[in-house]
Amino acid sequence: MEISRKDFLKGAAGATGLLLLEPPAMALAKDSQTHLGMGMLIDVTKCVNCWWCYAACKEYNNLGETVKPDLEQPPALAPDVWTTLHPVNKGGEWVSRKMACNHCTEAACVEVCPTGALSYNKLGFVQYDRDKCSGCGYCAEFCPFGVPQMEANKTTGVAIMNKCTFCHDRVTNGEPPACAAACTTGAIKYGKRAELITEGEERVASLRQSNTEASLYGVDELKGLHVMYVLDDSPATYGLPADPEVPPATTVRDIFRWLGSGLAIAAVAGFGFNYLVARIRMRGREK
Amino acid sequence: MAEARVVERFKKRTVWFHWIHTAAFLVLLVTGAMLFLPGLGGPAAGGLTRSIHRIAVVFFVGAPIIYFIINPRMSLHFIKETLTWGKDDIKWLMLAPDYYFGGDESKMFPQGHVNTGQKMWEFIVLATGIIFVVSGFFMWVLKDVLSPGVFQWCVIVHDVAFILAFLMLLVHIYTGSLHPRMTESLRSMWDGKVSKTYASSHYGKWYDEIAKGKN
Repeated sequence: MEISRKDFLKGAAGATGLLLLEPPAMALAKDSQTHLGMGMLIDVTKCVNCWWCYAACKEYNNLGETVKPDLEQPPALAPDVWTTLHPVNKGGEWVSRKMACNHCTEAACVEVCPTGALSYNKLGFVQYDRDKCSGCGYCAEFCPFGVPQMEANKTTGVAIMNKCTFCHDRVTNGEPPACAAACTTGAIKYGKRAELITEGEERVASLRQSNTEASLYGVDELKGLHVMYVLDDSPATYGLPADPEVPPATTVRDIFRWLGSGLAIAAVAGFGFNYLVARIRMRGREK
Repeated sequence: MAEARVVERFKKRTVWFHWIHTAAFLVLLVTGAMLFLPGLGGPAAGGLTRSIHRIAVVFFVGAPIIYFIINPRMSLHFIKETLTWGKDDIKWLMLAPDYYFGGDESKMFPQGHVNTGQKMWEFIVLATGIIFVVSGFFMWVLKDVLSPGVFQWCVIVHDVAFILAFLMLLVHIYTGSLHPRMTESLRSMWDGKVSKTYASSHYGKWYDEIAKGKN
């Protein structure tokens, strides 16, 4: 099994004794990331803008009442909007990309979450435990897709993160997520990620015969998204970053964490040494 | 007469200020560390510690402001002292290792009210205090206005200030209360006084000044 950078740093810090206070439950909650497992394949060429995925998500996850949105004014992701459409007007014809959490294999949100509320599920999606969320909002600020949404009281700082759960309970019971189950045209497909890659590649190959812009997005991005897209245009057209990455600030934080812990331990050891030497020398002179 | 054997090193209000600021900083340190060291993150769940962090900030910022209003001259003097560096400081740094490792006391030249090491700590408190408040203000109040990139670097800047302040705090605690040579330092921050012997051996220049009645 691959050891991620974070695990390595935690191990190193733990070995030096600073993180002995880590609750064991937290260490257990973090399943390793996997690019395998389950996934979704979104095919923009098959979407007919019916908004059933949006409605099904709201209905299944108890996210309040909704009316069918207008393509000109699509709802943005919000604490009570976990999936929506990113519609693009192409010469009078609307083509939409369904947007929600992409469930990255290497997820910036999991990397920066200080409480272990966000973690990797064995099935490949990014899960979270609302009870562990501290509301710090790092996930929202570090996610390259801007997915996590904070329900926040600005003054007190009390906040909680919301995002697509991949319909955790349905998926772990072998059912597709609500959005995929609701899709009327096969634009949202749920299945084994490896199989979806093959399917997506075949679809793109056939699209490419008439459209060289067609591509499959999400195969290698962030070590593999668990939500991949068949696109008939550039990723930017559909609001997707061409080269998403875990922000470098994440690595810088890890380095400082390591450095700071090391220096603190060295300082305390240094004081002990200094105390002994100073006392011995001072006593020696008193005699 | 016991009174005659001691001199006032800190005013009562300075002592009060020191400990209020210390308490606020320790609360900030603990509640902040929960978001910095993942192993300590557990208690942050629910966000209560983040609210406590905000309450502590009121004291962390409020205490120096009130102190400044009450003692503008002393405060300005403190700031000036903290920002004034010269040849004596280099000389002190050269002599400090032997001095702190229990060398002959007479080799250290007479010091003013604070020595270079204490001045370094004052400087770190002042500098990281400003960095904490500015970057913290950005992350708290301007969160919705800032681009994610700016927010991310505010987090890093806050982290770096934390590391600097925490390391120097360790040094401050050690030299201020545990070091074998600093026998009356903690006491001076408790009742504001030190013995004349301690004052003349540790802060000779300052002691001569107050002995002459200059103060």
